[in-house]
Amino acid sequence: MERLILRRLQADGEEMILNFGPQHPSTHGVINFMVETDGEVIRKAIPDVGYLHRSIEKIGEQVGYPGFMPFTDRIDYVAAMFPNEGYAIAVERLLQVEVPPRAQWLRAISCELCRIASHLISVGTMAMDIGAFTPMLHGVRERETVNDLMEALCGSRLTYNYHRIGGVAFDLPEGWRDRTLRFLDHFDRFLVEFDRLISFNEVFVKRLAGVAIIPAPLAVDYGLSGPNLRGSGVDFDLRRDMPYAAYPHFRFQIPVGKGFVGTVGDAFDRFYVRCLEMAESSKIVRQALESLPDGEYMAKVPRRIKPEPGEAMSRVESARGEMAYYVVSDGTEKAARVRVRTGSFTAMGIVDAISPGLMVADLVALIASLDVVAPEIDR
Amino acid sequence: MAQNVRAYAAAVGTTVRSIWHGMSVTLSHLLRRPVTVQYPDRTPLPVRDTLPARYRGFLEVDPAICTGCQACERACPINCIAITLEKDPANPKQRLVTQFDIDEAKCMYCGLCVEPCPTGSIQHTREFEASSADLRTLTFRWAEKPFPVYKVAKDATYYPRAPLGSILRPMLEARRWDARGPEFLPPEPPKVTPDAPPRAPGAAGAAAPSRAAAGKEHKP
Amino acid sequence: MNQPAALPGAPGAPTSPAARRRARAVLGLTLAVGVGLPGLLFGLIVALTPLRTVVPAGWSEGQVFLLHAVGLAVLAVVLVTFGAVVSGITVWWEMRVFARMSSRVGYNRVGAGGFLQWVADAVKLLLKEDLVPADADAVLFRAAPYFVIVGFALTFVVLPFGESLVAADLNVGVLYVLSVTALVVVGILIAGWSSNSKWSLFGGMRSAAQVISYEIPAGLAAMVPVLMAGTLSMQDMIRAQGAWPWEWNVFTNPFALVAFVVFFIAQLAEGNRTPFDLPEAESELVAGYLSEYSSFRFAIYFLVEFGNLWVMSAIAVTLFLGGWQVPFVGPEVYAAARGAPGSIPGAGWWGLQVLSMVVFVVKTLAVLNLIVWIRWTLPRIRVDQMMSLCWKYLVPFAFACFVGTLFWQLLVTAAPWAARATGYALTAGFLVTAFFFLRLTLRNVSAAGDRVDLTNW
Repeated sequence: MERLILRRLQADGEEMILNFGPQHPSTHGVINFMVETDGEVIRKAIPDVGYLHRSIEKIGEQVGYPGFMPFTDRIDYVAAMFPNEGYAIAVERLLQVEVPPRAQWLRAISCELCRIASHLISVGTMAMDIGAFTPMLHGVRERETVNDLMEALCGSRLTYNYHRIGGVAFDLPEGWRDRTLRFLDHFDRFLVEFDRLISFNEVFVKRLAGVAIIPAPLAVDYGLSGPNLRGSGVDFDLRRDMPYAAYPHFRFQIPVGKGFVGTVGDAFDRFYVRCLEMAESSKIVRQALESLPDGEYMAKVPRRIKPEPGEAMSRVESARGEMAYYVVSDGTEKAARVRVRTGSFTAMGIVDAISPGLMVADLVALIASLDVVAPEIDR
Repeated sequence: MAQNVRAYAAAVGTTVRSIWHGMSVTLSHLLRRPVTVQYPDRTPLPVRDTLPARYRGFLEVDPAICTGCQACERACPINCIAITLEKDPANPKQRLVTQFDIDEAKCMYCGLCVEPCPTGSIQHTREFEASSADLRTLTFRWAEKPFPVYKVAKDATYYPRAPLGSILRPMLEARRWDARGPEFLPPEPPKVTPDAPPRAPGAAGAAAPSRAAAGKEHKP
Repeated sequence: MNQPAALPGAPGAPTSPAARRRARAVLGLTLAVGVGLPGLLFGLIVALTPLRTVVPAGWSEGQVFLLHAVGLAVLAVVLVTFGAVVSGITVWWEMRVFARMSSRVGYNRVGAGGFLQWVADAVKLLLKEDLVPADADAVLFRAAPYFVIVGFALTFVVLPFGESLVAADLNVGVLYVLSVTALVVVGILIAGWSSNSKWSLFGGMRSAAQVISYEIPAGLAAMVPVLMAGTLSMQDMIRAQGAWPWEWNVFTNPFALVAFVVFFIAQLAEGNRTPFDLPEAESELVAGYLSEYSSFRFAIYFLVEFGNLWVMSAIAVTLFLGGWQVPFVGPEVYAAARGAPGSIPGAGWWGLQVLSMVVFVVKTLAVLNLIVWIRWTLPRIRVDQMMSLCWKYLVPFAFACFVGTLFWQLLVTAAPWAARATGYALTAGFLVTAFFFLRLTLRNVSAAGDRVDLTNW
């Protein structure tokens, strides 16, 4: 693979080819970029992925339906509730099981809190790649509280394994709701302070405004999703346009990039869309906690899950984009195929299209603004 | 790049203003208490006591109420639990659990084994501090002494489990950081040279496999 | 199982007698290194610098020359050691400040308050393998760090630590400093080129372009106090200022205020400090021109970078902030305490010298803190933006200040009250601004629902 890429690059007769990664503090995980530069300006940057491949999809064919749930955590461990939910919805569609409303609400609450946590990492690392180290640590400090909430809810801080086929694993513990509301109060104030510290800092803005512009048609062509797509001005969000779970019951805005300080679709738009999404998620969690219905948190599913032969697909709006699961059942206890489509993998494609003409520092900004995590790319 | 005076002055103005705000935020953090908990020696309480009840730490099995149903073994996606049941030679109607090994080094602390347990014998505790020098010390053997399976009464409403962590903690205490690995493998056969008498297997030979085979994966 | 015995009782309090003894020993060692070492160096500076001009009665010329030569050599060693030690202490201070600003506790294990961490880091760096790339230019690769450290160390020659505490009060002090800091550029270029790695080359050229470009606004802005004082000598420039803030150069001349800002920014860029640290950016691919260096050679670059904070601050303090001038102590007080020239002065004079040095050190530390604070607040600027900042913003402002000062000096010669009035007005303006800033800071704390809490070190 590397030789192929090198040959492609060298066919142009250029000499300065360098590897940007795979060990690198700036790429988010183990990803390698083969960059051909001409002085400071990049001519071509080709992502070279696969360093974190763990055969998770193959494992899905071997551990049985309920056993695969902890592995979905590892697909995107920064925002692990989304893969959980996506898989659960896909298998529930196979089994044709209806999830009770309380479970839907709990799923939405846990997912939106997870979205906040994931975006905190994302904007924090973006700031860190641009050179400001303090906002990253402030973001991680807030994420610690979300981790604590998740720990109280399901027992784990990173790989939650909280959703189950048919519902969720646990109900809310005592005092969790008040704790979460207190956190959200604090968090809304934190966002204001974060904006003052870094979002509208002139140096930061100058680094990101007008940089790595992804025009809307190109974004749609390359299959971008989530904040990357919305940052380019395309108003599409699965939670509103193809609603699932409890989302039809909540009122929230979808932030869309509109050239906040530069051009539509630049790196700052993608950054700021994430900041705004955090505020929206906070609103959703509040509404969900307020309107949480009583009842069961888990549907009745058979002890051994053996769906009829068939296939099912689910799409959830993950923090990084659209996460889709395609599960094929052949009637046995083990799935015939579990396929995961992640937002980060498709975001890798656009690096090659956008990077010519960027400077190396801008490539760092581009990769950071796409919010890729290597485990999602390689699974 | 023609830049009129306004844009120039605006650039200077926004830079000054944003630096003003940014620096006041960082200075304010200088005055606030850091959130760091200085583990392990400057915490007000042992950390394991501050963890929530659902925390998925090391697994603990209470052999007194284990029914030998092997539901946990089947539920584990990575097969880190190994249970062997045998008939009690003294009493053919009674079954004994002769092997109940959990490889905590392989365990991913997902909690799928805890859910199907009918009596709540296997639980996640809040213990997480169990680093050791030898990987094999992390295979916990809950049936060192084979135990009879628990017979669940038909109308039982609760199961008398030992307090959570009370069985695990002594086992963790016994696994000191510098403890020698357990003797899972037989010692190497003694090397017989014509001149030297064969060394007896035991103390001398046992040290070698525990060091040499430390990297080998132990399949329970 | 791994819970140590220190838990019951106050957090962090050692409980056993042995642990208490150990904690006391660590504290003692920390104070010895942290207070004793700089104290010793400062003391030597205080003792040696004036003595070089002393001519003991009855000594022959050759003996006096020898005395002065030995004194000079010792002083040189002391100053370079001072540079190295202050660089290490700056690392410690910077890391602690950064930690606190990012809601963390920084170094606090090695030595009381983590103070000996820089010693540990230095020792670690020295113990690393010293790699020289096979294709690197053998001589230049090894020589490059020495250019950099010589450029750094030479600036200590003219730093005015106190009223008579300057190693050599050159009458071209400012020019000397500006020229000598340019040696660092040579070192960087050589490092980048001789590493025989394309990224080192890039980094070296970028860094050299940055430093050279920013020399211009730095030099122009430095000319403003020169115009105001009418001299290039560092000591005379300080003597031309007063001790009170409204007598400092920065407040007596509105153009000097702007020039101070320009100078400060330009010095940040020359020292490769954020927001201008792109050549060494960790988030970028490599450490730029330093990427092939390891062990002691790397340690030299880091020493110079952090020591430069001190030098930058000291020069800014000298040029703009009144240097070592002590309030209520004018030149006649120093002269009275000096006694006859050529003899060893009395205790009063030494006391005044120490006092003036304390003032200088306090002011330098204040500016140093400002530099550290800026580093951990701002992101870094891209190369082309850095160039445009220099040429489109700093250089015109510096020119404007220079020309403005020319006219201002004419005004001040005709109407001296203008300088005093401006001094009062700008000092008052500064105090008002500082008040609003601190108020905003405290408001930040309460806006986030927090309290001012200085615990958890």
